[in-house]
Amino acid sequence: MTIPYNTLVVAAGVAAVGFAAGVVGSLGVLRKRALAGDAAAHATLAGVATAFLVSGRRDLPVLLAGGLASALLSLGGLVLIRRFTKTRDDAATAIVLGVSFGIGIALLSGITARGIPGGGGLEQFLLGHTAALTAADAALLAGVSIAALAAVWLGLKEATLVAFDPAFAAASGWPVAVVDYCLVALVAVMVVVGLPAAGAVLVTALVVIPPVAARLWTDRVGPMLLVSGCIGLVAAVAGVVASGLVPRLATGPMIVLTAAAIFFVSLLFAPRRGWLAKRLGPRFPLTVE
Amino acid sequence: MDPAAFEWNAMHGWAIATAAMVSAGCAVVGTLLVVRRMSLLGDAISHAVLPGIAVAVLAGGRPGGPLVLLGAVAAALVTVGLTQVLRSEGGLAEDSSAGVVFTTLFAAGVVLITAAASRIDLDPSCVLYGILELVPFDTIRIAGLEMPRAFVTAGLVFATILLGCVLTWKEQLFAAFDPDAARAAGMPVTATTIGLLAAAALATVASFEAVGAILVVAMLVVPAATAELLSRRLHRMMLLAVVIAVVSAAIGYLAAWHWNTSAAGMIAVVLGAAYVLAAVAAPQDGLVARLAAQAALNWRVTAEDCLAFLWREEESARRGPESRDRGGWTLRQRVALAWMSWAGGVLWTADGWRLTDSGRTRAETVVRSHRLWEAWLGHHVKLPLDHLHPPAEWIEHHLGADVRARIEAEVGGRDTDPHGRAIPPEQTS
Amino acid sequence: MAGEDRHQGPHTIEFHDVTVAYGRRPVLWNIDLAIDAPGLFAIIGPNGAGKSTLLKAALGLVPLAGGTVTFFGKPFADVRRRIGYVPQRETVDWDFPVSVMDVVLMGTYPRLGWFRRPGPAERDCARACLGRVGLADVADRQIGRLSGGQQQRVFLARALAQQADVYFLDEPLAGVDARSQDQIFRVLSELRGEGRLVVVVHHDLRTAAEWFDGVALVDMRLVASGPTASVLTSDNLRRTYAGPLDVLDEIGLAVEQARRTR
Repeated sequence: MTIPYNTLVVAAGVAAVGFAAGVVGSLGVLRKRALAGDAAAHATLAGVATAFLVSGRRDLPVLLAGGLASALLSLGGLVLIRRFTKTRDDAATAIVLGVSFGIGIALLSGITARGIPGGGGLEQFLLGHTAALTAADAALLAGVSIAALAAVWLGLKEATLVAFDPAFAAASGWPVAVVDYCLVALVAVMVVVGLPAAGAVLVTALVVIPPVAARLWTDRVGPMLLVSGCIGLVAAVAGVVASGLVPRLATGPMIVLTAAAIFFVSLLFAPRRGWLAKRLGPRFPLTVE
Repeated sequence: MDPAAFEWNAMHGWAIATAAMVSAGCAVVGTLLVVRRMSLLGDAISHAVLPGIAVAVLAGGRPGGPLVLLGAVAAALVTVGLTQVLRSEGGLAEDSSAGVVFTTLFAAGVVLITAAASRIDLDPSCVLYGILELVPFDTIRIAGLEMPRAFVTAGLVFATILLGCVLTWKEQLFAAFDPDAARAAGMPVTATTIGLLAAAALATVASFEAVGAILVVAMLVVPAATAELLSRRLHRMMLLAVVIAVVSAAIGYLAAWHWNTSAAGMIAVVLGAAYVLAAVAAPQDGLVARLAAQAALNWRVTAEDCLAFLWREEESARRGPESRDRGGWTLRQRVALAWMSWAGGVLWTADGWRLTDSGRTRAETVVRSHRLWEAWLGHHVKLPLDHLHPPAEWIEHHLGADVRARIEAEVGGRDTDPHGRAIPPEQTS
Repeated sequence: MAGEDRHQGPHTIEFHDVTVAYGRRPVLWNIDLAIDAPGLFAIIGPNGAGKSTLLKAALGLVPLAGGTVTFFGKPFADVRRRIGYVPQRETVDWDFPVSVMDVVLMGTYPRLGWFRRPGPAERDCARACLGRVGLADVADRQIGRLSGGQQQRVFLARALAQQADVYFLDEPLAGVDARSQDQIFRVLSELRGEGRLVVVVHHDLRTAAEWFDGVALVDMRLVASGPTASVLTSDNLRRTYAGPLDVLDEIGLAVEQARRTR
């Protein structure tokens, strides 16, 4: 069996996205910002649809730029709600998520109903579909992913400090809010480049499940980022392959199910933190004086 | 656009009625979810009912039928149970565990539906945002009246939720306000919570055909969060949430009809607009109201400071020759004085502003608050004399008559402040 | 405190008429307090008296509703590097995937600035600080697998790595075993011996009399402050622990209401 060149390139690009999403997502999960990414993910749809309406074309860079803009806008909305209303954080997240997704759906349905040429393909951004990606698209996704990894490499010290002990970080002079905004923006970027592969509804899994699974295997931040990245990579490639084999099957659900399978294996078999180790293994003393 | 599309007929009426009924049920459940800080569970459940529905349909259930309702409720409870297990066994944070569970279940649901697409009539995209416009075409006949099936389901679900809510109102209220105290008092908090989650699942599955899985989040949370900005009592909040939900459903449907787009999407958009409107313009908690209140307070402080200044000028004039060193009034103070002269607190005379009797009364109250507070601080707090003035300058505008009386009692009825100046008596009028 | 009369120049720490409000309701009223190095100084008061809040106000972690705090005569932002901080142990997630060494290294981050990683010099410093608190042999362990007392000592080692002149510790002895308590006090005494100032939020009156040079009694307002022996009198203690001050509570509510509704 020969695999077409294009499929290989796309798989490589999506693999880079999976790895970077796992790495960036780890920081998001450690800072307990897992679901801010979900609100941003659902909001991308509105931006993608708007970018299509404005530009009239279905160029991936343009659509993703629109998606990023609306993702950042939704995060801004979240900040505004927190700052100016008494609505609590959980409800604020749900409001931003639900309403921005509603805007996206309304735009998308409007485009479909008017039969604007090329508009039909936008539905692929709901659940992810990699078959239509070109080599150039894949290069774009990989490029942004590598840039995101570089950003993590640069700011790892600051992000870890703020995630572990924000009060200490603030008292010793770090601008905690700035670090937080950068971190959440980085998560939003990964959500947006994950969009073509995983889709708006499920892309959150790409930044949540691998970190949570990786946490079970290691007790250090560095290894956790690496393991999480690898899990993301495997899940992304498996998703692309599975949806390539089964026609009509969207990529997003397969990525999520692969990641979830790895997570449940980790939950059972991880050393010390896994279910089996807890039940059967020698209990590690909590304190060793 | 085709003008014929604007023609009204009974189908639109039924679609709006269904949307309104669905929204009302969501609003009731959503109110309890929001006040119990469980909005994200609502989000998780709305995603996770999908595999329950898919399995029930594969097992021979009909969309909207009892088997499907049951499947959805089961899936919702599994979601919550799994989330709990991951938190206790895997040591996950609440949001991460919810994130893992609902994305996984939703993905499983999508795969199931895709795989069985030939056997069941559920379209993956319909699952995401529903097709309200088609609801009126699937009807059943009840008591001689042809009604959409989805409307009947939604009506039954709404009635069930309302009944459950009325029957367990006391428990819900207590569990929402203080779950630990409720548990300690022997209230069935866990059962209350499970009931609420089952209700959320019912509301979700009833909404499913009309608005799809994800927009249910907006219908659960937004009306309640909007109502919370407008009301401070739970029963009023719930009533308001239902009204907001029903009105938004109707407006959203009509807007979608007008612009030829998805009704579910437009309903979410209208709900969002309602929330923003409330956040800006709510009578008590809105942005405008709070800014106005702040401005009013600042003006009152300026005005009272002017009055108190004039009063102290009179006081020092009584005690001896004019000695107070006064700079000119600032622009802000002039505006406040002009306003007070219109209100009858001060008079403009040849040698400057003078207090009227009513202005003097108010000034004495302010000065009394100021000096009483200085006396209290001098008595109870270790503070040097020159540090007494600034806190009193701030607090003098906020003390009511009852608090002044308390302070007077605590300072032991002395009639001078720590600087030796007389504390004016309480004004009675 | 004791040095007030013979003191030249600015105090090490000076709270000038500090009022702190949470939301809009004041929880600390008009605190006036000066503390000078070297010394071990305790802030003592009942639960909910605002002890930790006072400390956070000094560190700029909660905004001041009124007044100023200065260190060496300057605002906190100018002398941040000279101030070390040990937060309450419960404020962080001890399941976080970092080792003891990683946490202590965080104390060197302010010196390093943006993006620079700790090098051998910082590691040596962190190792020495761990040695001082008696934890050199657990440097590579994940922080969750330590006892409460050990966790507290890790926080102390991190503060030591800051190489500060003034240390703030928020309830460092809450839920700590006797051995850790001795170790912590030994290190704090050493710091005093090096001419530094250590300010501790504390709840235990017995150990306070034994260990600290100076004390401030706080219950929403400053009741008394000065050398330990002169402050811990039965009269002062009665005034501090007599129960919540209804009037302050009521006025706090009045202020909140006035701002909200009028």
